[in-house]
Amino acid sequence: MKNLQRAGLALLAVGLAAVPFVASDTLVQFGINALLVATLTQGWNIIGGFTGYPSFGNSVFYGLGTYGTAIAMAQLHLPFGVGLVAGGVLGVAFALLFGIPILRLRGPYFAIATLGLAAVMSAIVATIGFAGKNIGLILPLFRGDTLFYELSLVLLVAATGTVAWLARSRFGAGLVAIREDEDAAQVMGINTTMYKVGALALAAFFSSLAGGIHAYWITFIDPGSAFDPTLNVRMVIMTLFGGPGTIFGPVLGSFVLSAVSEVLASKVSTVASLFYGFVIVLAVVFMPKGLLDLFQGFRHSGFRYFAQNMRRFRL
Amino acid sequence: MQLFAQILVNGILLGGLYGLMALGMGLVWGVLNIVNLAHGALIMLGGYAVYYLYTKGGIDPFAALPIAMVLLFLFGYLLQRFLLNLIVRSAQLNTLLITFGLDVVFVYLAQLLFSADFRTINPPYAGSNIDVGGVTIPYAQLAAFLVAIFLAAILFLFLDRTRTGRAIRATAQNLTAARLYGVNPRRIYALTFGTGAALAGAAGGLYGVVSQITPYIGVTLTAKSFVIAILGGLDKPIGVILGGLLLGIAEAMTALYLDPTFTDIISFGLLVLVLVAKPAQILGRA
Repeated sequence: MKNLQRAGLALLAVGLAAVPFVASDTLVQFGINALLVATLTQGWNIIGGFTGYPSFGNSVFYGLGTYGTAIAMAQLHLPFGVGLVAGGVLGVAFALLFGIPILRLRGPYFAIATLGLAAVMSAIVATIGFAGKNIGLILPLFRGDTLFYELSLVLLVAATGTVAWLARSRFGAGLVAIREDEDAAQVMGINTTMYKVGALALAAFFSSLAGGIHAYWITFIDPGSAFDPTLNVRMVIMTLFGGPGTIFGPVLGSFVLSAVSEVLASKVSTVASLFYGFVIVLAVVFMPKGLLDLFQGFRHSGFRYFAQNMRRFRL
Repeated sequence: MQLFAQILVNGILLGGLYGLMALGMGLVWGVLNIVNLAHGALIMLGGYAVYYLYTKGGIDPFAALPIAMVLLFLFGYLLQRFLLNLIVRSAQLNTLLITFGLDVVFVYLAQLLFSADFRTINPPYAGSNIDVGGVTIPYAQLAAFLVAIFLAAILFLFLDRTRTGRAIRATAQNLTAARLYGVNPRRIYALTFGTGAALAGAAGGLYGVVSQITPYIGVTLTAKSFVIAILGGLDKPIGVILGGLLLGIAEAMTALYLDPTFTDIISFGLLVLVLVAKPAQILGRA
């Protein structure tokens, strides 16, 4: 069974990797976006799903990755590889610097602090001359959707692999312990500060690399689009929809919702955002454990699954 | 010196309004233990309600304020009664997520219905002002400030003196005990959330008079309300108003001495400072 699962996953990865060689340009472009968003979602899963810290500011890491790459390439004329590393370093460094004070906060305090950060970050970057102020930066042009697609896929596989490692490692178990009861975890000898900062740094690492890849692909960035706070909406919803704290739930959730919103956005883009909002509200009430749990629960008890979830926390 | 006095007055006038915004958020948080991330969106909806009552209905903004409050109260009441009551006992992560989702829904519904254009509620007396010793005080701003203080006082009296107010405070202290004394928590929760929404609606209407409204004003206002609610303490309306004044003055000073683009950055810095510097109280409640 285990081997069968592994073979299936390998087959899936190979199938995804083959997409740019057979599919149309539009589909590949959609694929790049979907893979990068799935990576962001997986990043959120590490800090929000495993550790239980509801970050509404992961878009900041994405934006820092974008800017790190863009500054290295557009201002310092360094190659893409170096730019990507610069973006990753910037994102992780910020997570370490900012995470230590802010991860001392719990629940809503942490949520609001990250929410506020996401809201002001574009204003801060827009005051820095080296980062192109509010005009933004233009990167050297490079056409190669296939390369960007494969890079994004590699990044997503790496992120998912990391999450899979979390699910079975001591470090991951520590994070789950923090989510379930932080005080108890501390008493059990877990260095909670180090674990939490480590989780945030991991999330920042993948988020900022996704930002770096996106920057070079899009070739033009500005504070508004790089630090777009609505990215947080997507990360949270997709994780929640797929199954927070699971390995494949976030990937599944982001693929499904990316596809649905692509269809909706072709009509009116506002409708897609509206749809996200409704999904999050309904998901919290009816399927708080996500799609994966829904499949199992539905097989077990049919439509009563929804009623059970709804009744559980009713006043 | 005169400039300083002027900025101080501007800050105080704005701060009263901030205090009003935070009152609703603090009330809901203190009683229901819901940190309502959609609070800013409710403020935004209140702003649009007053805007349309004024432009389409020809009702003076200050007269439209009670109507907007009633509308927002009903909206908040129903929201809590039929949606939020379903999950109010679950982990706080879930209440955060659902109000975050509601925020998204309200913002984009507003964008669809009202468009993303900037709107200002511009009554004919908007430009007029009085001059006190060289300090200019615009009538509209002054009236907004006074209304905010008036509503805070009303809220205080309501919670302190009325039967329903006592039931709300009892529920905040101990849900089970309040239930044993015959309080119906479903109704009290809905009433409380409705009151919070009504206060947000009033704040939104006033905000539209003194500033501009778009569908997106909510997020920063949510964050600011949160900071102020912590600064002031959840169960003290007067403390919350004082917290609002502090933030208002800080922002006005920033706009003068640094740069207007820094105001949001400063209030965010203040937010982190408040959160990190008062860990005992903060971690105690979490």
